[in-house]
Amino acid sequence: MNVKNMHTRILIFLVCIILGFMISMQLKSHNQHQTIAAQRAEELTVRLKEVQADRDKLAKELDEYRAGRISGAAQKEMDDLKARAGETELEGKGIIFTLDDSKQAAKAGENKNLYIIHDEDLLRVVNELRSAGAEAISLNGQRLIGSSEIRCVGPTVLVNERRLAAPFVISAIGNPQTLESSLKLRGGVIENFKFWGIKADVVQSDKVRVPAFKGNRTFEFAKMVSEEEKKKADEQSVENNKDKKKAEEQSAENNKEKKKAEEQSAENDKDKNNKDSSSKDSGNNKDNKEAARIPKAPDNKAAADAGKEQPESQQKNAGGGAK
Amino acid sequence: MIYAILGLIFGVVGGILTPGFVPKIYAPYFSVALMAGLDTAFGGLRAAMEGDYDNVVFLSGFFVNIAISVFFCYAGIMMDIDFYLIVILVLGMRIFNNVAIIRRLFLKK
Repeated sequence: MNVKNMHTRILIFLVCIILGFMISMQLKSHNQHQTIAAQRAEELTVRLKEVQADRDKLAKELDEYRAGRISGAAQKEMDDLKARAGETELEGKGIIFTLDDSKQAAKAGENKNLYIIHDEDLLRVVNELRSAGAEAISLNGQRLIGSSEIRCVGPTVLVNERRLAAPFVISAIGNPQTLESSLKLRGGVIENFKFWGIKADVVQSDKVRVPAFKGNRTFEFAKMVSEEEKKKADEQSVENNKDKKKAEEQSAENNKEKKKAEEQSAENDKDKNNKDSSSKDSGNNKDNKEAARIPKAPDNKAAADAGKEQPESQQKNAGGGAK
Repeated sequence: MIYAILGLIFGVVGGILTPGFVPKIYAPYFSVALMAGLDTAFGGLRAAMEGDYDNVVFLSGFFVNIAISVFFCYAGIMMDIDFYLIVILVLGMRIFNNVAIIRRLFLKK
């Protein structure tokens, strides 16, 4: 090496120090980056484990709550509401009502539709059952709830957005006697069906099963009223009621006859509630009313035709719209 | 030569003892600078063996090469082109070249 003087040597020495420093730093940094990645991975694994443990814990908690930590009254109320809303399968005394299309051949010039079960017929049956105190009703396995529809769609009937065809089996839980007699009223639904040859069988049963509602129920437009809004509305109505009460009090002052009248009406209510004793009577009353409404139905076909023609034309329109 | 090796050893030890490290974003610059430094060092060694070593040329070459290579790397990253690969390639070729010449000179002796 032709290095002449001390000055040059020192400079080379310094440059080499820098070079060596850089080399070692580079190696160190390289290792460090790797270890950082490893550390990060480790950290993440630890966090993952923590989060998983948390998740498991919460899932367990949720299971516990679902399994019935909601105790006592709340649970009972929830079950009750569920049953009312049709969320649960119900079983009990009741009737099974079977309806099938008429096998009678239509006479010449007669409308065939008269011998077929329509949505209106089913609606009448369901309405009759409900008025007779049916607690749960299902139609061909479709639970009828507040939002259930019964509607003609071509040759089938739409219930809970499902198409049903004859024969129709209506299961209703309630007092079997009341339910059956409500259907068998003179001039009632069954008599009307029989006239057209539509088969209608009522069977009382100790074990009627009504399935749970399986359809979709989500609110798209309706919203829950918040507590504050409720309070406001209540206050307003309370004020109105106060006014009313004042008026009532004023009118009721010095007027004891009203009390007597109330008592009388209460007695009447009692009578009404006493179904066993009065059901027959009320049934007879209904009979009379029905008879008055359709006086000639069994005798006069033309009148019945006219009665049935209307829904049929409506139905045709609906069918055309659907197509 | 002894001074150079001594300097390298001191530098390596110093680097190991220095706490901290190069952050990841500066890693490409640093590696390129290291490459330029090595290139200059081998160039200097070759010049010394050929007998036309100049201290000023060596020192200026050392720092200017490092600066230019770092600048190249920076520009490449700014333009989203991997310039530092080119820098490393060129410098690597030069190092091999220098080492080859050094070897021949060494063998000729």
